[in-house]
Amino acid sequence: MATVEERVKMVTARVLDLTPDEIQPEHSFTEDLGAESVQSIELVAMFEEEFGIEMNEDAALSVSTVGGAIDFITTVCKEQGVDVE
Amino acid sequence: MAKTRRHHNLPEVLRPNLLEDIFPHDLPPRIRFEGPVVEYIDGQPVQFDFASVKDRDIVITDTTFRDGQQSLPPYSIDQMVKIYDLLSRLGGPNGVIRQTEFFLYTKNDRLTLDRCRELGHKYPECTGWIRAVKGDFRLVKEAGLKETGLLTSCSDYHIFHKLKFRSHKECMDSYCEVVQASFDAGIRPRCHLEDVTRSDIDRFVLPFADRLMEMSESVPEELSVKIRLCDTMGFGVSYPGAELPRSIPKLIYKLNHDCGVPSSRLEWHGHNDFHKVHINGATAWLYGCDALNSTLFGFGERTGNPPLEGAIFEYIALKGDQCGIDTLAITELADYMRSIGLPIPDNYPFAGHSFNVTRAGIHAGGLRQDERIYNIFNTEKLLGRPPRVAITDKSGADGVVHWINEFFGLKGDDRINKIKVHRLARWVIDQYDVDGRLTPISDQELAAKAKEFFPDYWAKYKAST
Repeated sequence: MATVEERVKMVTARVLDLTPDEIQPEHSFTEDLGAESVQSIELVAMFEEEFGIEMNEDAALSVSTVGGAIDFITTVCKEQGVDVE
Repeated sequence: MAKTRRHHNLPEVLRPNLLEDIFPHDLPPRIRFEGPVVEYIDGQPVQFDFASVKDRDIVITDTTFRDGQQSLPPYSIDQMVKIYDLLSRLGGPNGVIRQTEFFLYTKNDRLTLDRCRELGHKYPECTGWIRAVKGDFRLVKEAGLKETGLLTSCSDYHIFHKLKFRSHKECMDSYCEVVQASFDAGIRPRCHLEDVTRSDIDRFVLPFADRLMEMSESVPEELSVKIRLCDTMGFGVSYPGAELPRSIPKLIYKLNHDCGVPSSRLEWHGHNDFHKVHINGATAWLYGCDALNSTLFGFGERTGNPPLEGAIFEYIALKGDQCGIDTLAITELADYMRSIGLPIPDNYPFAGHSFNVTRAGIHAGGLRQDERIYNIFNTEKLLGRPPRVAITDKSGADGVVHWINEFFGLKGDDRINKIKVHRLARWVIDQYDVDGRLTPISDQELAAKAKEFFPDYWAKYKAST
């Protein structure tokens, strides 16, 4: 099973039309990876779908980096009883 | 100007100060005054107490069927009866819309008047409008009206160039003969001082008003002359310090104070040639003229008259109370006007299709957090029109989520969050970025997409409608 980081990078790459290798944890979704407003929403929606979780809208949209998303999703998965590696 | 700079400390403020006593949201924002206003008239300071407007019997009068019709194809009888009925509901039982005036010249004019009166409404009272011709009083009398407007034009443009009088005296004598005929017929004359803001105030208007007041002393109060100040070309200005004849404050003061015309017998009738029509009307109220003459949606000769619905909201703002006014009737009247082919511009205040519709995503975001941020007042409660967003490439996901929640009528915790509208938001963006669209997306198009992307919500909230 892929790790949270790998899955986050995979989803990010798909939504932002990048390759996973181009994405690093310290990257900002908007400034470094070029996410536009609607793509930020799509990223959150795709993360929910990928991990089978529901995220708080405001909290999820306030996460600005890939590393922040990995940590946030890991926490939500734990809270919602979703097993991740 | 002397140096009077003061330092302003920034106190620690941890709670928002929403100024809800001024912006109650369930009512239009209140207009409050904190002291007298001083106007220099004939070199002397004169104080006006605007706050007294709260206790004065200011009223709105209507000329939708007279001046309003002078700019439009004629209404049918049924249309006028419907409009009159809605006007009565709008003005409420206290008669905030106190009077409306009718032509009396044709069989249809008379039939319309009779059918309106058959509705049995106390307000608006029906009054007439005739030429300043003695024979026309027969029409007023036959119609059983107690009051009629008379055209008494008072600028020299009218007196000398249009009516061809040889002197002010000849003109005044002629007008006064007609006023006397009105008294003799037992009908209250309302003299329409046409073109007053372009007239010779000292050498015609004030002597004429003096004479009308003198004549009124010989008749019972209910017959005494009313004066309508007609800003025929929209030349009136509201600014303190402006000169006569354009100064509304000075004009009203002189009639009110120097000629003794009571406020209750003064009325302002404006035109919008210089975009001043509403504020001039409100100014007249504040300086001592009790009646503001208006038309629905400002329809009227050339650029139109003071919009009645604007006067309604001004009235509530000044009084701080709805006073029995049913503001929801404004939306019904607007819908009705559109249904009979009278267009109201989309951005027209209070009644246009888009008056509380935003296309900016950042405003939609604000609306979603707290409607008060971008809605002038509770437009759903007062006009049956909740704030809406129109969807374009500028609307963003905030605009889309606002639209979808309004469309399904979702409130509070039932509202769909922004994450859930991502497919619709993407579709919207692609319309512009991919397909090169340049027009707003219609509600019909969005509804079709809502059905596609939110089938469960559609089944629950829309399937039965």
